[in-house]
Amino acid sequence: MISCSNYKRFFAAFVGLLLLSSCEEVIDLDLPGAEKKYVVEALLTNQAGGCKVLLSQTKDFDEDNSRITVSGAQVSIRSEDTTLILPESSPGTYTDASFHGAPGNTYYLTVQIGEETITSTSTMPSLVKMDRLSITREFFVDDYQNQPTIDYIDPEDEENNYRFVLYVNGVKKHQLFVMNDELTNGNHNSTRLFVDEEDLDDEEKIKSGDIVRVEMQTIDKAVYRYFFSLDNSATGENNAATPANPVSNLQGNALGYFSAYTTQEKEVRVP
Amino acid sequence: MKITTLSLLYLLLYTSLSAQEQVTLSGTIKSASTGETLIGATVYIDGQYAAQSNAYGFYSLNLTKGRHLLAITSVSYTAFRDTIDIESDMVRHIQLNDAAQTLEEVVVSANQGRSLSSPQMGVSQITPQAIQNVPVLMGEKDVVKVLQLLPGIKSAGDGNSGMYVRGGAADQNLILLDEATVYNASHLLGFFSTFNSDALKDVTVYKGGMPAQYGGRLSSVLDIKMNDGNNQDFGINGGVGLISAKLNVEGPIQQDRSSFLISGRRTYADMFLKLSNDSSINNNSLYFYDLNAKLNFELGEKDHLYFSGYLGKDHLGVGDLFGLDWGNTTGTLRWNHVFNSKLFSNTSLIYSDYDYKVSISSGVNDFEIYSNIRDLNIKEDFQWYLNNKNSVRFGLHTVYHTIRPGEVTGSENSVINDRLLQKRYSWENALYITNTWKAADKLNITYGVHLSAFSILGAGDFYQVDGEGNVTDTTHYGSGDFVKTYFNPEPRLAMSYQLNEQSSIKASYGRNAQYLHLVSNSTSASPTDKWLASTNIIKPEISDEFSLGYYRNLANNRLELNVETYYKAMQNQIDYRDGADIFSVDNAIEQDLLFGKGRAYGIEWLLKKPAGRLNGWISYTLSKTERQIDGINEGDWYNARQDRTHDIAIVAMYKLNEKWSLSANWVFYTGDAVTFPAGKYIIDDQTTYYYTKRNAYRMPDYHRLDLGATLQLKQRKRWRSELSFSIYNAYGRENAYVIQFQDAEDDPNRTVANRIALFKFIPSVSYNFKFK
Repeated sequence: MISCSNYKRFFAAFVGLLLLSSCEEVIDLDLPGAEKKYVVEALLTNQAGGCKVLLSQTKDFDEDNSRITVSGAQVSIRSEDTTLILPESSPGTYTDASFHGAPGNTYYLTVQIGEETITSTSTMPSLVKMDRLSITREFFVDDYQNQPTIDYIDPEDEENNYRFVLYVNGVKKHQLFVMNDELTNGNHNSTRLFVDEEDLDDEEKIKSGDIVRVEMQTIDKAVYRYFFSLDNSATGENNAATPANPVSNLQGNALGYFSAYTTQEKEVRVP
Repeated sequence: MKITTLSLLYLLLYTSLSAQEQVTLSGTIKSASTGETLIGATVYIDGQYAAQSNAYGFYSLNLTKGRHLLAITSVSYTAFRDTIDIESDMVRHIQLNDAAQTLEEVVVSANQGRSLSSPQMGVSQITPQAIQNVPVLMGEKDVVKVLQLLPGIKSAGDGNSGMYVRGGAADQNLILLDEATVYNASHLLGFFSTFNSDALKDVTVYKGGMPAQYGGRLSSVLDIKMNDGNNQDFGINGGVGLISAKLNVEGPIQQDRSSFLISGRRTYADMFLKLSNDSSINNNSLYFYDLNAKLNFELGEKDHLYFSGYLGKDHLGVGDLFGLDWGNTTGTLRWNHVFNSKLFSNTSLIYSDYDYKVSISSGVNDFEIYSNIRDLNIKEDFQWYLNNKNSVRFGLHTVYHTIRPGEVTGSENSVINDRLLQKRYSWENALYITNTWKAADKLNITYGVHLSAFSILGAGDFYQVDGEGNVTDTTHYGSGDFVKTYFNPEPRLAMSYQLNEQSSIKASYGRNAQYLHLVSNSTSASPTDKWLASTNIIKPEISDEFSLGYYRNLANNRLELNVETYYKAMQNQIDYRDGADIFSVDNAIEQDLLFGKGRAYGIEWLLKKPAGRLNGWISYTLSKTERQIDGINEGDWYNARQDRTHDIAIVAMYKLNEKWSLSANWVFYTGDAVTFPAGKYIIDDQTTYYYTKRNAYRMPDYHRLDLGATLQLKQRKRWRSELSFSIYNAYGRENAYVIQFQDAEDDPNRTVANRIALFKFIPSVSYNFKFK
């Protein structure tokens, strides 16, 4: 289903328009901290250079946003018969520059930090060819928007889950775009990325001349669920759902996820 | 069950045989000027309370032969007094005249006003007059908003719809309009309710101690009765407010015997949207409308026929891109029959339909989501005024529900495939019997039972689901097959003991079962929430509510004090699993649901001055409501979102002089229980928030003051009009609608909490007229 976030975006944009007299203000909230928890962000792609595990910890609300990295952990990924140990290439980052996965294989992650063991499994889905990236000019709520549009054909005989990552002039957009093929199975898809430009100045919106790059990923079901629930409840927007931690595919006392995914990229200039 | 009913009947028979030579006085009480039947008019014999008129204005009472003083009172009508000589059963129809509009203090005798002796507790009645004067948002008079100023009934807050009664959820309120269930009683995301107060006769809400004839929802019954239509004179009234206009036309079809009423309301703001040259505005649409129609016919002395219909719709649209429509349709046909002076019957045939549609159209990504719930309902109700000490009510309901939980359809060229969720069929039945028994001079007891049964029918697939939410088994049932029947006897008990002329105490216990559930992923009701019927996995919700109350008239009956305390235990409460996709088009919705229990308790205070130049009330509620669901908050008890420790409302209305009346209300409540982050971390290069306990934090306190003033304009013989002014949130408190967390704009290395507030200083003007 085109993720609920699209529907919510319309709804929120419309409600925003309606509530003309609303006002925003930054307030002070006294939020007591909690025990620090480990965060594991583990990635494995079908291309070399995509194998990366980031280990960090949670911070209290009042602290700054820099990452507290965790060093000295044992990180390994096993597939079929081979186990690969990932060395720490920089503080908190464990990589192998040449290792890459293949669609259809299942990978097992093990992270050992002191006494804490965290494991996970992810199966790399098949590659779905990204046919075309273009820009569609569409009227949305109160202004024209340049919407990146990705064409691809969804395979009919399997369940597919996708994630799109958007870069504008080299800068990654924070917005999450995930979708599955629940309603579009087997069809020639033309997926639009509805970028939330409500609070942006004209300069910051996607405009003529900008270089738009989209990374198309095919992800497994558990990773789709992770990003879907993250977008709905942990980004801080508190739009509708009761906030909760995303549904993680990690076993052990940690936040985060492990994703084995295929990746492709295309770039286009906004006309 | 058989034994109880039999002994009940023997008890009644015995008490009736041992009574003195009694005769019956009965009839219908109406308004002299409009012919409207009066609900809840009180009848006194020889200065003692004897009876009350029912929902159709019918009363019946037993008295000894001979001469008696008869008096009848009703709010905003002058009392009727007469002497009667009665030797055998007598029918006496009474007409009350409108009370003169005076400014003097009206002295209310102990026998007038509310009944201290009635065992019914947890009830509040709102008259349309009370609604007229309370200042509201944008000048839209709204009965549901006024109810939320009473203790125990909480609003969902600015910009949210729904109400929470004694800690219950927003779907636990049975909302009836002339006996038809209204599934979504809010317009425009909850700013306004679907009830056009011009057409209403009576609004009664039960927060606890639900009488046995009601069933199907745990927390409250909101029973709304419409006007029948003036059968004396033709009349038009209407008004224009800041965002909507309304018109009410009524009159006799045959004077004294039949009448009609048509009432409509529509927003007009969207017409201005179209006038704009700015394409960012004229492409959007936003409106709602309500249409009420009523016809009634007196078919001889003993029979009366009523037809009521309601049609309402909301529409939100953003160009061609997005559209959201929802609406209710209801229709009721009712037949009153008076068998004899002691037995009154009402038969109703009811149709109720609620649906919504979401349409999205962006290039080839166009589709519609449609969902619908439809009821066909038959009710038969008997009121048997047995004797002075016993008043029995019994009857049955049967409802056939058809639910279309969700249908996704794409157009010809759309990349969206059609997906239709299976329709769900169910049959809900209830039998009830209850007696209000004057056990002793000061002691009244109501005892009864509401027996409900809910049968889930095919055709359809039903599932077994494991602890992780995976489907382990699917069984297919054919059309008409019984999948499962739930059966729940719901005892309803209440008693009152009158301590003295000024005060009484009351106690009640009731069990309620609820078979339809509104599953929502958001904390405030959204029009796209799904109504689901119970299934083999989704069990009926059950509540047991105990309450105790103390009632006292103060200051020579000028003030009323009510103190009520309650404890409610709820079973089979439902919530979504974390990460559930509420728009998922999967038949096995049980995969996404978790079940648990709830408890709510509190104490409510109401001090009311019902009459006089200055009138109004102060209400204060201290309460708590919690849930415990395995899979949420690690299985620990957590505050329900609607838990608000303190809730205060002060409402005052003052008649300044012949022309001006002023009103004010101030509300205060503790912020909702919410989930705020306990920390943060980085995922995918962006700040992500870490949550620990659910609803362990509080939104900031909410308070606001509304002011209103009404000016009576020059009156002519057949024409009256007035101008109403109001300011919503007069001192501009920025009450938080939502608090968002994000990186600080000026320093992305910090996170901040951003509060969004909605309404500040909203003025409004409306003009209302009445033409007779």
